[in-house]
Amino acid sequence: MTTLIDRYVYTVLRRVPEQQRADIDRELRTSIEDAVEARVDGGSTRDAAIEQTLVELGDPDRLADGYADRPLYLIGPELYPHWRRLLTMLAWVVLPTAVTILAIFDAVEGAGFGEVIGGVIGNLLTIGVNLAFWVTAVFAVLERTGVGRAELRRNRAWSPDDLPSYEPGFLTVGQFAGSLLWPVLVIAALVLQQFTFSEVPVLDPDNWTFWWPYFIVVMILEGVYGVWLFRSHGWTHAATAANAVLGLLFAVPMIWLLATERFFNPEFIAMQDWGSVDPLSWLTGIVITIVALGTIWDIIEVAIRAERARRGLPTPVPGTGREFTALTRSGKPM
Amino acid sequence: MVSDMTMDATLSSHLQELRRGTVVVASLTVLRTPGYGYSLLETLSAAGFEVEANTLYPLLRRLESQGLLTSSWNTDEARPRKFYRTTEQGDAIAAALRDEWTRLDRAVTDLDTPAETVSGSDK
Repeated sequence: MTTLIDRYVYTVLRRVPEQQRADIDRELRTSIEDAVEARVDGGSTRDAAIEQTLVELGDPDRLADGYADRPLYLIGPELYPHWRRLLTMLAWVVLPTAVTILAIFDAVEGAGFGEVIGGVIGNLLTIGVNLAFWVTAVFAVLERTGVGRAELRRNRAWSPDDLPSYEPGFLTVGQFAGSLLWPVLVIAALVLQQFTFSEVPVLDPDNWTFWWPYFIVVMILEGVYGVWLFRSHGWTHAATAANAVLGLLFAVPMIWLLATERFFNPEFIAMQDWGSVDPLSWLTGIVITIVALGTIWDIIEVAIRAERARRGLPTPVPGTGREFTALTRSGKPM
Repeated sequence: MVSDMTMDATLSSHLQELRRGTVVVASLTVLRTPGYGYSLLETLSAAGFEVEANTLYPLLRRLESQGLLTSSWNTDEARPRKFYRTTEQGDAIAAALRDEWTRLDRAVTDLDTPAETVSGSDK
């Protein structure tokens, strides 16, 4: 029969790294027995002594956390403000945009008013939960790997040189997390569409032999680019070039696949009934437009940022409500 | 106005803040003579340190992993016990911590005594 002490010790051990278990098991039992014995010597019954001792030791999960010496939080105080800012932005900007676009799709497909409203509610929940989850997951990984922290507080003493320059070349932790989130979302969407979103995959499964893995690799490179950008502290012409190359590596094959009708799964297209309009040509047109415009916009935006950084033009500093001009090290405007 | 209960809570959180770290000095000092978890707990509470078992036991293992304590199982008695003992490094660190404690105590006392010392220090 398992005793109360057994149950307590097992509960602690459950959350302790395996290589420490045997030793902690033995030591904790002895400590408990010692305390119980002292209480029994003091005149209590054994059962009462055990209960009091365990109450005093307190929540076994907390004790286990003490032994394992792990942080008792998912996102610590250093990253929390950035996590909150990004999540708020996504909830107010990206979520409504995505839900509206999907609602328009539904309406084009000829869904009734009720169906569209139902779709909006469903999408709000699904996309909202996904955004929150992935943002949190990315930040939790940053917290545990210390990538963000290493940047915020390097492995040497802080010096005034470490102050963010607030030049147009400055990349905030929020922007950095955003640049990691995008590849994660694309890869997740690419993999999940094969299994979940609809009865048959949305995208042509034949492309798993080359193109879909290729896009996953490009997305991983996007993530690497994000880390590099963050570490090198800013938008330079090298960043413009890298961003443009990555953008084209993504957009050109995708547009080509779309234009040669190898992008969507023919089975999925066959299941669509949009009345008089042809789903394939519409979807192809819409996606090509979005990809082309998105890529051009992204390339130009980064190029403009880099150019502003080079010229040292004033730039709003996120979260301060102020504008800063690039300063030389001595504090004089360049 | 701040209620008495809030003040009590504030006081106890500041006390906790102040006491954090004293258990380390005390443990490293006591364990120059080898001892096991429960015996140390008893010694510390008898000496007036408010320490709880669930803080002390994990702390001992952490100090061991930092090389300030060593441990060995003593199986001579009926109940095998893990004995901890302060290492040379641990002893050196404890000495440094005790010096710091003395220095802080003096500094706080100086601050607390009337202004004459301050005006005298002008010369």
